[in-house]
Parts: sequence; C-alpha cells; structure tokens
Amino acid sequence: MRALQRYRIHLGTAAWILHRLSGLGLILYLLLHIWVIHHLAKGQAEFDGIMHSFNNPLFKFLEVGLVGVILYHLWNGLRVTLFDFGLFIEKQKQVFGAAVVLWLATWAVVAYAMLTRVGGLLAAVVRAGGGGLS
Amino acid sequence: MAHQDTEKKLVTFRVKRYNPEGGERTRFSQEYKVEVMKGQSVLDCLNEIRWKQDGSLTFRRSCKSGICGSCAMTINGVNRLACETQALALGSSTITVEPLKGFAVIKDLAVDIDPMVEKLLAVKPYLITKTPPPSDAERLQSPEERARLDGLYECILCGACTSSCPSFWADEQYLGPHAFLKAYRFIADSRDEAPGEHFDALDDKHGLWRCHTIFNCVEACPKSLNPTKAIEALRRELVKEKIG
Ligand code: SF4
Ligand code: FES
Repeated sequence: MRALQRYRIHLGTAAWILHRLSGLGLILYLLLHIWVIHHLAKGQAEFDGIMHSFNNPLFKFLEVGLVGVILYHLWNGLRVTLFDFGLFIEKQKQVFGAAVVLWLATWAVVAYAMLTRVGGLLAAVVRAGGGGLS
Repeated sequence: MAHQDTEKKLVTFRVKRYNPEGGERTRFSQEYKVEVMKGQSVLDCLNEIRWKQDGSLTFRRSCKSGICGSCAMTINGVNRLACETQALALGSSTITVEPLKGFAVIKDLAVDIDPMVEKLLAVKPYLITKTPPPSDAERLQSPEERARLDGLYECILCGACTSSCPSFWADEQYLGPHAFLKAYRFIADSRDEAPGEHFDALDDKHGLWRCHTIFNCVEACPKSLNPTKAIEALRRELVKEKIG
C-alpha cells in the first residue's frame, strides 16, 4: 500500500477510502452494539445499567457521528450501485457530488432531530407506543 | 508573441532511479535541470537529459506520438504518457518522474511488463470463431455492430490504468483494467463466436469482482477510455449468464 501514499488521490480514490473507513466504523459499531445488547440476557438491572452509562452528552455526540458514518456509507453505496447497473459511469464525479449533498442534508436533518426536542419527543412517543422494556 | 513562444523556462526533473547493478547507489532520486520550451513534452526533456547530461538514464519510448504505449510513467504523481504530456503545461517548476507502480523495475523508468502481458493473454485477446469465414468476403459487421467497439479498440496497452489501480497494488495477480477492457473489446464484437472463452479468466478471485470502482484507471488512461464501464458491463453479462 506504499504506492497509495505516492499516487495522487483522485476524487474516486477519496470516495473509496471514505467508503472503506465508514464500513470499518460500521463493523466496530455493530460489535459494540452486540456487546451492549447481550446484557439483556443478564436481566433488566444489568441492561438498564449499561444503557444508563451511555446516557451522557459524549455518547449523544458519538451517536450523531455514527449516523454520519452510516449515511455516508449509504449514499456512496447507492452511487456505486448505480454504476453496477451501468448508469452514470461517465459522470461519477457529479454523482459523487450529489451523494455528498444528500449525505450532508440527511445527516443534518437527523442530527437536528437527535439533538433537539424533536428527538426527545419522538423518543417519548416511541417509548409510550412500544411500552419499552417494562 | 514570437518572443514569448520561444521563451525557455528552467525546470527541475526529479527522477526516481534504480540501478540493478548496485554499486554505491541502488535506489535514489536524481535531479536534472532542463531549459524547457513551450510545447516540449516530458519525453523530449528526458531525451535531452539522456543525450546531453546523463547517458545512463534509462526509459522506454518508441513512437513519440502516443500510439506505441511504451512511455507510460508516473509524472507528478499521475500515470501518463511522457510523449503526450507537455512539460510546461504541468505548471510546476519541479516535475517528478517515477516508473509505473506495481511492476518490478528493471532499470530507472523501465519496468517489467511481462506480468501485464500474461494477464492480457489470459483473456484470449483475439477474435475466436467457430464457423468458417464466407468464401467470397470478410466477416462483415453492420455500422451499428462496429460502433459498439468504439471506446474499446483504441487501447494501446500502455499499462497506465493497471498501474494506477489500488486493487492491483494490493493483489499483484489482479488481472487489471487493461485486460478487462481488451476482453470486452472481443466479447462485444458481433463476429466473436465464443465469448465464454474470453470470460474464463475473468470470473476469478483475481478477476472482475476485485474492482472497487475507484476510477483511477479512467483518470490515468491517456486515450480517455473508460475501463470501469467495460468492467461493469462484463459483470452484468456474467451475472446474466449465471442466473439467466
Ligand atoms: S485502457 Fe488506456 S490506460 Fe489502460 S492500457 Fe489501454 S490505453 Fe493504456
Ligand atoms: S513513445 Fe509511444 S506512446 Fe509515448
């Protein structure tokens, strides 16, 4: 991989590197997620305990970051899928531009919802509707 | 105006060198200064260095007109043909010149392209027919059938694409965009009667599926061809063939 350091990073290369990194991030997140969820098997107290330890501003911030990682992987993944269907291959840079716009726009909306009362309200509705764990 | 056109600019060429005979220096970078005129190609400058400054500098070239494919090298971090790259148009006072990445260097800028040729041969880069030709004519194509080969037949096998590809850097057995483009050139040919034979080498762990649509090959191709498009078309054909 030493060649990568010496060769110019074109737009397509950057899109690919970010795709790989976001994919790696998703795997790490999934492992963490499974580890957290496995506390369910240990009973309610254990699970509530671990959930409680995530209920702080740092994790809120990380969650917003996670959404960004997921959404990048999603939109660039769709970009590559278009190419697999033979669409817009000659316009890959413009398609990347569109993917970045959609990525940032959807990220902003979701982040806003998460960080403001909208998020809190939605969570409350979900909790009330789903009945939660109790 | 005439004065401006003949004006020369001093450009430093930083050349990555390799001397297989070892001695004091095996791998090193060497700088040469050349008075460059507008319109002069990087190949012209390398020739000037070789002829007037350092006869030991080694590189390949033949046609000097972008058709033989022998002068592909990495110039300012991007693969290009030295004979088709105007030195001053690069806009830098120091131009770095390196051998194509991913290949073994023989000496200085000359790399061993044998592996690339082997991969090319693996896709059987020639027309395969099973029926005898018409006795009184060539095998004919309609203008539409011929037009399908545009953007495929022009490849000069310079290797700029394959050497720019991260999938190839990571897996030296990866067939590479040059082989895929060539394979598709024959698979898409209406006169070819055995596309399956070209496909044999492609459906492999070092084949089509290792392309990650990074587009470095498209950026690098001096003929403005689009190997990624060929790769995607080949993948679709292969999937259709497998799952009907
Ligand atoms: S596809 Fe372009 S870059 Fe690749 S070998 Fe052919 S001419 Fe060179
Ligand atoms: S010398 Fe033939 S392509 Fe450059």
